[in-house]
Amino acid sequence: MPTMLRCASKNFGIVEYEADSVIRFPRGLPGFESETLFVPIEREASKPVLFLQSLVTPQLCFITMPVESVKPGYELRVSDEDLELIGATDGMSASLRCLAVICTGRQRPTANLLGPVVINLETHQAVQAVRDDARYAVQHPLFPEPEAGGCS
Amino acid sequence: MLVIRRRAGEALFIGDGVEIRILEVGPSQVKLGISAPKEVTVLRSEVRQTQQANLEAARQGSPESVKDLLRKLRQ
Repeated sequence: MPTMLRCASKNFGIVEYEADSVIRFPRGLPGFESETLFVPIEREASKPVLFLQSLVTPQLCFITMPVESVKPGYELRVSDEDLELIGATDGMSASLRCLAVICTGRQRPTANLLGPVVINLETHQAVQAVRDDARYAVQHPLFPEPEAGGCS
Repeated sequence: MLVIRRRAGEALFIGDGVEIRILEVGPSQVKLGISAPKEVTVLRSEVRQTQQANLEAARQGSPESVKDLLRKLRQ
């Protein structure tokens, strides 16, 4: 039997989670360096959205989506330093999960494709692997812009 | 913006405590060595952009905006 624990969440009240499911960001995330522990919350009705609920701050929950569902064909080369941080090696890409953090605000939700979250599914360690090129945008629109000059 | 031309091996200073040395100039990249006091944060611009996006993402994500996002995804 997996050990079930409970935590307060931003969107779902008190949630139960398996102790083994906790994702650890050894260095936190940029802007949130002390946020190292997150519980992944996946609901059937919310797929493909995955919520990363902080275990440190109940009001902190990142909304993420698999990068593949945001940008099919997305390519990322994780730096050796980041791979080491999450206990992965170069040949482990099959066990890495790559998520884009979503900004839901205003009219247009955007996905951060510049700094995807990479989770090692074997060690449950993760890092926000910020790219060093400008191939993808930090605010990639999730939905196409409505055409200008359309009917009103 | 101040523009300075430097060669590999040369350096420049910002204030009293920050030194930026040009270590290597390659065809597509420049390698910099930065010496700065501990309290000075040195970030790649991409990391800074991600930091700001994270702060914005954290402020948002109310249950209503999540519902709205899911509704748009289903369309």
